Amino acid sequence: MSMNMLKKGDIILLGIIAAAIVISFAVVSTYKRSGKDTDKVAVIKMKDEIIKSIDLSTVSQPQQIEISGKYIQVILVERGRIRFLDADCPDKICVNTAWLSEKGDMAVCIPNSTMIKIEGQSDKVDAVTH
Amino acid sequence: MRKEFILFVIVLVTISVSACDKLETQFDKNSTNVPYENEDFAMGTIISQRIYDNNAEEISKKVMDKIREIEDKMTINKSGGEIDKLNASAGIDFVELNEDAIYVLEKAKEFSKISNGAFDVMVGPLVKEWGVFSDNPSIPSAKKIEDLLSLVNYEDVIIDKSISKAKLRKKSQVVDLGGIAKGFAGDKAIELYREHKVNSAFINIGGNIVLLGSKPDGSLWKVGVRNPTGPEGTYIGVISAKDKAIVSSGDYQRYFEKDGVRYHHIIDPRTGYPADSGLIGTTVISDLSIDADALSTATFVLGLEKGMDLIEELEGVEAVFITKDKKIYITKGLSSSFKFEDDNNEYEYVEKR
Repeated sequence: MSMNMLKKGDIILLGIIAAAIVISFAVVSTYKRSGKDTDKVAVIKMKDEIIKSIDLSTVSQPQQIEISGKYIQVILVERGRIRFLDADCPDKICVNTAWLSEKGDMAVCIPNSTMIKIEGQSDKVDAVTH
Repeated sequence: MRKEFILFVIVLVTISVSACDKLETQFDKNSTNVPYENEDFAMGTIISQRIYDNNAEEISKKVMDKIREIEDKMTINKSGGEIDKLNASAGIDFVELNEDAIYVLEKAKEFSKISNGAFDVMVGPLVKEWGVFSDNPSIPSAKKIEDLLSLVNYEDVIIDKSISKAKLRKKSQVVDLGGIAKGFAGDKAIELYREHKVNSAFINIGGNIVLLGSKPDGSLWKVGVRNPTGPEGTYIGVISAKDKAIVSSGDYQRYFEKDGVRYHHIIDPRTGYPADSGLIGTTVISDLSIDADALSTATFVLGLEKGMDLIEELEGVEAVFITKDKKIYITKGLSSSFKFEDDNNEYEYVEKR
């Protein structure tokens, strides 16, 4: 089958189809990638129970959440990030961990058996030994 | 003919695009490339698991059950466990132990011996006196420390394997498995993963990381080495590995401050005071996590020179040493799998001693 069997219009049509395919692939992959960045869900856990799950991309106003167990901890949530703001536990490791904003980020209070984690995996490291 | 050709092209494209789409969704649903992650608290720390398996949730629960069982048997922070009974019968009688406890005690004695007591499983009386794991830590008097030092001797753990019993030679002696039990638990977790035919997973028991296989795509796991002077989660380098245990010790883990002096939780069993060897962090990489756990403590207490000598003597074991003056040293075998990453230009990477 040779190309001269095709009329000009057919070639244009094929061109349009090809362009449509390329564009749709581009759109789909961009969409997927952007989803990866914005879709950040923070999970607050006490022992193995999920207390609260927050989609950080939809937070419009900063808000504070108080958790009470053996100790009282205050969590601050802003758009795209979350942290332990204050705690009356002895070491304050949870507070010193500061902001969490990337997938896989985690802040933990062992004496209170609480943690905040942003769901998903970091691209940089799978875990940190300490 | 032309029309058929165009139609043919359109059909072909449609099929290939939709097939591609189908493949992708199917892949997501059934494959084990989707990780299951779980965090829970036990052994006085946080335990994270990442498992690539369709049955991951159930397996992670079994692992947690096993870890709690180990904790109950080996803890000395509450009564009723086997090791607690062993301590209570110190200087009096033999106590029956199950094979896990016997194995861990034997391992602990072995590492106490090869480290010349820099790791000593009998450090219990000192740990209790300092109270580093309690809410009210305090500095014991020099006299008290001297008295307690006479109780610290791993050779006083008498194990009779044939009857599955052990005994501590003197009254008031205390076995403390705090420096090794988490390591043992990590190995048990990997055993359970294997029993359930998991090919790819890792467990992180309070910073003790044990890797099963590689990642599902065949690439190596990347494990950060904690920056001892930075906040939680920051690291000074990355180790790429598979099927390895990676365990760290450091002065940043647990400590208290008194009159401007920081007292950390790793007591040198030879002096009775927090280890002061010029190191702020060590990381040990080996096949078994029980080995890496004991050796990370031992090397931290021994210091750079002696710690490095000990690791180089052992086959299949590598280590990272971080000194107080912010220099990073690694063993020879680690050079291809350790990548120094220091965004703040705070540390100096010295490959060779």
